[in-house]
Amino acid sequence: MKVLSKLQRYGLAIISCGVALALAGPIDAPSSCFLLAVTVSGLFGGLGPNLLSVALSALAFAYFFLGRPSPPARESTSLLRFAAFLAAILLVTVLMEIKRRAEESRSRSEEALRQAHAELAHANRVTTMGELTASLAHEVNQPIAAAVTDANTCLRWLARDHPDVEEAREAAMRMAKDATRAAEIISKVRQVFKKGAQQRELVDVNEIIREMIVLLRKELSSQSIAVRTELAADLPKLMGDRVQLQQVLMNLMVNSIDAMKNVEGKRELAIKSQRAQDEDEDEDEQLTMSLSDTGVGLPPQQADHIFNAFFTTKTDGTGMGLRISRSIVESHGGRLWATDNHPRGAIFHLTIPTKIEAHE
Amino acid sequence: MATQEKTKLVAVVDDDELMRSALQGMLKSVGLPSQAFASAEEFLNSGQQRQTACLIADIRMPGMSGLELQAQLNAEHCRIPTIFITAHGDTKMRMQALRAGAVEFLAKPFDDEALLGSVRAALEN
Repeated sequence: MKVLSKLQRYGLAIISCGVALALAGPIDAPSSCFLLAVTVSGLFGGLGPNLLSVALSALAFAYFFLGRPSPPARESTSLLRFAAFLAAILLVTVLMEIKRRAEESRSRSEEALRQAHAELAHANRVTTMGELTASLAHEVNQPIAAAVTDANTCLRWLARDHPDVEEAREAAMRMAKDATRAAEIISKVRQVFKKGAQQRELVDVNEIIREMIVLLRKELSSQSIAVRTELAADLPKLMGDRVQLQQVLMNLMVNSIDAMKNVEGKRELAIKSQRAQDEDEDEDEQLTMSLSDTGVGLPPQQADHIFNAFFTTKTDGTGMGLRISRSIVESHGGRLWATDNHPRGAIFHLTIPTKIEAHE
Repeated sequence: MATQEKTKLVAVVDDDELMRSALQGMLKSVGLPSQAFASAEEFLNSGQQRQTACLIADIRMPGMSGLELQAQLNAEHCRIPTIFITAHGDTKMRMQALRAGAVEFLAKPFDDEALLGSVRAALEN
């Protein structure tokens, strides 16, 4: 539809009506010809040309084919013919418009989805948890390996018959340097999620939740996990880093999916969002989200350890996902914590202040 | 090749400074002289290959990797017993290194007794 200019599309409507008029007389089938003209205009021209062709056809039909009845026909029959014709062309118009709108909204949502994919892929390349944790693990491993070696060297100097304290001291100093470097690397990671690196914009959390459900649809259905959402319609937008919040949601959902992989019985992921009710601080509006699953649940007595760096219960986990997720939420001024779900599974809760409310 | 007059020098090639000093400190504590290089290129350009009795090298380094260094030394018919230490010890890499003549392949953080055992074995050959 986009290939024709506006003028061309209206031109098409006029021409097709003209052609219909020219053919209608000789073959004596005005309604079919004009109906075809209306269909062509609607199909290639859009709503405007479609309506134009309806008007032109109705006029031409009324003027050329109703006014002079060649066989003696009664007026009521003529009117009936005209009414039937009018109904047909309007029906075509309406149907085509409905189809066009459906197509438009589908292509719009496809476009949005494609964009979400692209953004996510980009984020993945730059700062995603996988990449970040792999390089982080490598970076941290290096000074830790050096520290282990230096500690053993230190012990070796001390274990001699005549301990060499000076050498041992040097090894211990190297060890301190190694440990300092390891700590520096970790704090650098924290900084990545502090203000400077973030892009703040108004984010619709419900939209992110829906996007992530779409993105993970394959994983969810292959594990026969039912998703239930209760998203508050009046959820305020929040000021935050969209990509980072996507990563948090994605991470929590992937965790839930993994947690349900090996459980028998009901597999359900329930995601809720709502405006926080208890506003103890004067005007700081908050929104809360929760993700409840029916998976293996939290490790007993260690509910909060799961947020520690390198803590993992997965065989291929890095132990950084929840740590980074919590860092992101905290850098938005919010909180992320976990509780047990009943009778089985875990619930992850998030609260994030909206900071600047969107007025729309 | 006549090797008996070779000084028993251990060369350390690692791009990480902390790792280099840790390894040198370790070798010193057992009385072994060592020399450290920050890259494979630096080692190759030093002209020390012929005096080196044992090489401890990192695999992943900017520029020439440890495996490429090994291949280069093999091409120069300079067969130095080589011990690789790496943070990413995947099986494929390990097989490749051992097939090309490495004497040991250790993942960081490594057991330094195992490393010293390999160094000693390499020096006694």
